[in-house]
Amino acid sequence: MTNMEEWQKKHILGIKDFNRQEIETVLSLADSFKEVSEREVKKVPALRGKTIVNLFFEHSTRTRTSFELAAKRLSADVVNFSFSTSSLTKGETIIDTIKNLESYHPDIMIMRIGVGVCLNSFAKHTQASIINAGDGRNEHPTQALLDMFTVKESKGSLENLNVLIVGDIAHSRVARSNIFGFQKFSSKVTVCGPTSLIPYEFEKMGVKVSNDLDKEIPSADIIMMLRIQKERQGAAFFPSLREYINKFGLTPQRLKKAKKDCLVMHPGPVNWDVEISSSLKEEVHPLILKQAENGLAVRMATLYLVGTQKREI
Amino acid sequence: MKLLIKNATLVNADEISKTNLLIENGKIAEIGKDIQGADKEIDAKGKYVFPGFIDLHTHLRTPGREGDEDILSGSTAAAKGGFTTILCMPNTDPAIDNEGLAKWIRGESQSVGLIDIYPIGAITVGRAGKDLTEFGALKKAGCLALSDDGFTVDNTLVLRRAYEYAKMFDLLVISHCEDSQLSCGGNMRESFVSSKYGIAGIPDIAESLIVSRDIELAKYLDARIHLAHISSAKSLEIIRRAKKEGVRVTAETCPHYFTLTIEDIEREGFPGNFKVNPPLGDKKDIVAIKKALVDGTIDCIATDHAPHSLAEKELPFELAPFGFIGLELAFSLTNNYLVKDKTFSLKDLVNKLSTQPAAIAGLEKCGKIAEGYIADLVIADLEGKWKVEEENLASKSKNTPFLGKELEGVIEHTIKKGKIIYSRLKD
Repeated sequence: MTNMEEWQKKHILGIKDFNRQEIETVLSLADSFKEVSEREVKKVPALRGKTIVNLFFEHSTRTRTSFELAAKRLSADVVNFSFSTSSLTKGETIIDTIKNLESYHPDIMIMRIGVGVCLNSFAKHTQASIINAGDGRNEHPTQALLDMFTVKESKGSLENLNVLIVGDIAHSRVARSNIFGFQKFSSKVTVCGPTSLIPYEFEKMGVKVSNDLDKEIPSADIIMMLRIQKERQGAAFFPSLREYINKFGLTPQRLKKAKKDCLVMHPGPVNWDVEISSSLKEEVHPLILKQAENGLAVRMATLYLVGTQKREI
Repeated sequence: MKLLIKNATLVNADEISKTNLLIENGKIAEIGKDIQGADKEIDAKGKYVFPGFIDLHTHLRTPGREGDEDILSGSTAAAKGGFTTILCMPNTDPAIDNEGLAKWIRGESQSVGLIDIYPIGAITVGRAGKDLTEFGALKKAGCLALSDDGFTVDNTLVLRRAYEYAKMFDLLVISHCEDSQLSCGGNMRESFVSSKYGIAGIPDIAESLIVSRDIELAKYLDARIHLAHISSAKSLEIIRRAKKEGVRVTAETCPHYFTLTIEDIEREGFPGNFKVNPPLGDKKDIVAIKKALVDGTIDCIATDHAPHSLAEKELPFELAPFGFIGLELAFSLTNNYLVKDKTFSLKDLVNKLSTQPAAIAGLEKCGKIAEGYIADLVIADLEGKWKVEEENLASKSKNTPFLGKELEGVIEHTIKKGKIIYSRLKD
């Protein structure tokens, strides 16, 4: 925890604004927080007296619970607010909601919203730090941090890895945050999916773009399978789940061609027999569950860093 | 009353002259050095006199959304920006798709009495893209053109019938070019930036595909069409070729398409105030638009003045509505971004803001400073500066990406039919 004193970020909005040192600081702090959850009394007083608001404009149980528990293990007071993105219309704007919550003097607002790149504009309406728990298709920074933590835990390093991200790249904030993250450690990222789900000019991100999963698997150190939203099938993006699975599903035959120490990850929840064959469940599920466990420690670390930061005011 | 404007530098699309100008009975009575017998004088020394600007593309939001703009505030904003005539789009609630509403707009604007406002009638009933409106009745009620602006007429057969039927009345059809399937759900120009931030994109071909379709159709039927708010280099190539072939097509662009790019949206952090449709393009588009303005591929500059309330525009980028206000900015932006960088001469500015729009709309004795012409005039100080701030804007809505920006080019007076309808010092 060498660099905590120098932590500069008031908000955690996206991995694209992180430097390598900041990622390392979060990961090493998360490492020490992991132990807290293994104690008899799973609590430290680090954020006692702080108020944390979970403000979710998009349905989420897992991420919200993970943040809530992370806050509670740091002894903060947590309140949850849930709205639907569709409620954000004229007359009841999100800024009104934030200003309302501001009257409770929260220290941290954890926000998830179905539309992207807007959290920065909310910052001027609150004294609180904002942590992005997923904004549109833009970023999901704590997911990337927990993925990197999990990789580092297993591989010992984040350097020079071949990271293969498979599936619906276009709609994935998880993919974007992981690309920004792994690239900061000189790892190579390949995105693989139907061309209709690869964003325009995506190779300019510095990634390799592929449609051939079989070809990419042998060189991968990490395979990240993204969740497929079933409503994307049909005319819009791909013809059928069947054809998707044929080309992009992780099957035992495909996984056989992977390196022995290749990690298979998934942000969850998995659609078994869509992204990953259920016959691989025994083999791959433990690490996916580990991701969730690590998520708690990483979120404790982010809350701690922004929550204990010295404020100018 | 005889009003004399003396020591004026008169700017027309074809010449600039230093002289005096006498206005009588709402008309330009005399131009010359020695004019006697005026009742009132304006000394325009060091200032420039332009024919009043004409906007082919204003959204007045009336009826339906008078909180965002109404006929008085829109007229005031227009006068302040040097516009003496505007055409207002029919995407109101209800839509201007019948003679009653068109007449009502004319009547209301006449009782406000600042500028001339001509409605543009909808092409289809309720702008639903299905049944044609009564073009003859709309024309009689004062409509100078037809458009379903905001929407493309998706059904090409309906559009064909509209072109054919409009020819009978010599009514201009204005096309909003956007392939609505391709652009569906998009919030900005599809680009590396949209991909990087995961914002659904609108490809530039969503515009050029429809430009191409509409031009082919107009060529086939020998119809006269006008293309609204052209934003992309690809569209311009198609328009340029069509004009060479003699297709009766004219086109407009808007100030934001020669001033702002995707990079500005990113740099500013995706504020709703930078969201517009068609979306902002890249530097290549700006270069192409400037070239097309100079070589005549683009005939005129229109504002696409699109007022939206603060509550709507402060929504997150992906939820905010499209559009910028423009009536009070168009002249200064043209001066700053085209005249100052020598893309345009002052004659070009007049050509694109007055002379060409008058010709396209079929307005007679307008768009030029000449004896016998209507005395619609703008007196401007090109070196004067003003800051774009909410309190400086007469429009009810303040949604412009230029807030906070200082611009050169100040309107001193706007004169409509010989009457001073705006003076900066009284403002």
